[in-house]
Amino acid sequence: MVNTENELIKRDILHITKEDEGYPMHLKELSGSPAELYYIGSLPDDNMPSVAIIGARNCSGYGRQMAREFAREIAAAGIQVISGMARGIDGMAQQAAVSVGGKSYAVLGCGVDICYPKENKELYVKLMDSGGIISEYPPGIPARAEHFPLRNRIISGLADALLVIEARERSGTLITANMALEQGREIYALPGRVTDSLSYGCNRLIYDGAYPAVRPYEFIDEFLSRYESKKGKITGVEDIDEKSRNSDKIAVFEAAKGNVYKFLSAGERKVLGVLDYTPKSVSEIFYELSEMEDIKIQELLQLLTKMTVKHLIDCVDGCNYSIKS
Amino acid sequence: MYSSVCSGGLCGIKSYISSVEIDVSKSLPSFEMVGRLSNEVKEARERVKVALKNCGIEIPPVKITVNISPAHIHKSGTAYDLPIAVGVLNTLGLIPDTALENMIVLGELGLNGDLKAVNGVLPILTEAYGKGITCCVIPADNADEAAYVEGMNIIVADNMVSVMSILKSPNTMADHYLVRGQNLSADEKEPKDDFADIIGQEACIRAATVAVAGFHHMMMIGPPGAGKTMIAKRMATIMPEPDMAESLEVSSIYSVSGLLNRSRPYIRTRPFMAPHHTATVSSLTGGGINPRPGIMSLAHRGVLFLDEFPEFSRESIEALREPLESKSIQVVRAKTSFVFPADFMLVAAANPCPCGYYPDRNKCNCPEHSIARYRSRISGPIRDRIDIIASVSRLDAERVIREDGADRGRKKALSSEDIKTDVLKAIEIQKKRYKGTGIRYNSELSPSEIDKYCELGKEEKEYMKDIYDAMDLTARSYHKILKVARTIADLDGCSDIKVSHLSEAVCYRG
Repeated sequence: MVNTENELIKRDILHITKEDEGYPMHLKELSGSPAELYYIGSLPDDNMPSVAIIGARNCSGYGRQMAREFAREIAAAGIQVISGMARGIDGMAQQAAVSVGGKSYAVLGCGVDICYPKENKELYVKLMDSGGIISEYPPGIPARAEHFPLRNRIISGLADALLVIEARERSGTLITANMALEQGREIYALPGRVTDSLSYGCNRLIYDGAYPAVRPYEFIDEFLSRYESKKGKITGVEDIDEKSRNSDKIAVFEAAKGNVYKFLSAGERKVLGVLDYTPKSVSEIFYELSEMEDIKIQELLQLLTKMTVKHLIDCVDGCNYSIKS
Repeated sequence: MYSSVCSGGLCGIKSYISSVEIDVSKSLPSFEMVGRLSNEVKEARERVKVALKNCGIEIPPVKITVNISPAHIHKSGTAYDLPIAVGVLNTLGLIPDTALENMIVLGELGLNGDLKAVNGVLPILTEAYGKGITCCVIPADNADEAAYVEGMNIIVADNMVSVMSILKSPNTMADHYLVRGQNLSADEKEPKDDFADIIGQEACIRAATVAVAGFHHMMMIGPPGAGKTMIAKRMATIMPEPDMAESLEVSSIYSVSGLLNRSRPYIRTRPFMAPHHTATVSSLTGGGINPRPGIMSLAHRGVLFLDEFPEFSRESIEALREPLESKSIQVVRAKTSFVFPADFMLVAAANPCPCGYYPDRNKCNCPEHSIARYRSRISGPIRDRIDIIASVSRLDAERVIREDGADRGRKKALSSEDIKTDVLKAIEIQKKRYKGTGIRYNSELSPSEIDKYCELGKEEKEYMKDIYDAMDLTARSYHKILKVARTIADLDGCSDIKVSHLSEAVCYRG
């Protein structure tokens, strides 16, 4: 079974060298670009804008949520999403891009016939149709730690700009951002709280001159205006501004929140007010809530379960709760 | 000349009554001992001979044969010194036969004739009293625990000489009976822990309340230094006092283990045992050549707290299966097997991941697979037995400082006494409901009993379906939730399980 599957995948693997036509122009102009590429599906379209969305593997709920929202909007606006199919931010961004019918490309640190990490198998299969799986390593080469910094140069190289969602102080993500700078790519970073170690990298990048990515549609506006001034108007994607603005999920969410709020009980509203994208334990929620009103711990526990059942909030790890993402 | 003195021994935590038979015959002088004796029993020969000599008693040149029956039970311990000595004195005519009627004798001898404390006095005397023996001679150091055997006439002595002088005149023996006095009422007054000392952690304290009310096993998950140990220690303070039978059971286990002494002659509180995670399997289950109860048995009727639960060896964790299943531990040796009671409430504490800060990803950078590996150290069967899983949250320094001052009184945390009142009510309800069924607590319900005692109404059934869909529950967790919901309803004084009880129970599924 596994063998036949692998056979099938092997048949689909394509190969291209630097000298061939169709080799991505983005990469060709770089020093140290790979001599050859293996891929399944297709390679990113040189005539279309592309953004690399990268971030921490062990990300926070906030990072996961933002990666999803940005990637959705970016992909819906017709921009190609490039990333590394890793756990955490990378995989989440690519999943979101594919889910709205966008194009997404994964650059791997192993042969393209190997799905690494395994838990992203579903995404791996989806990407074959709605984008591509790319690697400079021949099929059969397993993932190795030393491959990843090298594969990161291809991720940033293939994209017009880099969007960093979450990065720790010393992380592969920050190394990629530096590499992207050397390659002359624009850097965008999602701001976060200064006390969050996962936002350290992004805040640092912004301090050093990266563009803050605050809202998806603003990011898209900003990115496309720069892109057009460099490469001219993109054809085929019309009225992106208007479209993206309308479908901006945060705005929609906020509007919907107003509507949903009408149907909530006073207690539920207060609980939602206390919750965050970062999961909080019941005792923390209880403490913050009891500042405002007199509530018994068992009443809060009941409320939290009822709200989870109604899909208003998420229960993380059994005992912690966060805003529904 | 033949003489027989009643004594007793221990087999695991079970005690038996034995008789020490002594025969003195004219032959080449010797001192023989038989009756399947271990070394320390055989050594009694030298102790008895020298002790008697030092008490001024000359043993004539005769052949002394000692047999301890029943001869098929392997004897151990040093409690046979005194009965042998008393028997020898009897055969020499220094103690009249009438003095030994209905009398059990226990005690170790020093070479100077001093009496030393022995283990297991409480269970042996209890057993003896049940067999119609009404009087005992024991070392003074065992007096306090022996006093708890009601009805038994106790003669205590410091040395061989006084034993001899008391037993010499059976008519005045009653003058020497121990007068039970303030000893019995003197209760160990330790500075008590109280739940009111804990800042925050309301959710976990509530979980602990539910756990105690239904005797559910519980696991606390939280970052280091959040107060898991503090909470566990206080769980014993909200448990019902052990009744007479339970106290006797627990005290017997402690007596056998040699853990009763003058300052603690009897166990009247629920035990709290907290072994370190490096504890070996046999220290937990009990063991040794002559097996003695392990820590799990010492926690009988109380709390067994296992801090850093995943750090315990796999064997130690798996050894919990038997006591969690059958509430006892069987230790098998070549010729016999011992059963130690171990009906404890398991309270485990664990970090959520190797570093301790998951799911706060700003502090925890543990990869998913290492978190999964850390958690898998607690196997499924053990996890299934733990009904309640509660999270302990990290405290903000700000809150600790703020609540440490005058502000503390503003919102009074529940005290152990308040909580205990609720718990006792819930336990009373369970007692009534399960009368005559052999069940004591909700946690003991089997699946078929759950169907009987935890029936849900229509609305509640619908709600459980919603919970299933929303939370991706397994069939296994269903029964756990029902059992816990039953306890919450009991705490509420409610005869039916309501949606609110189910909602709360779901929070403890982990």
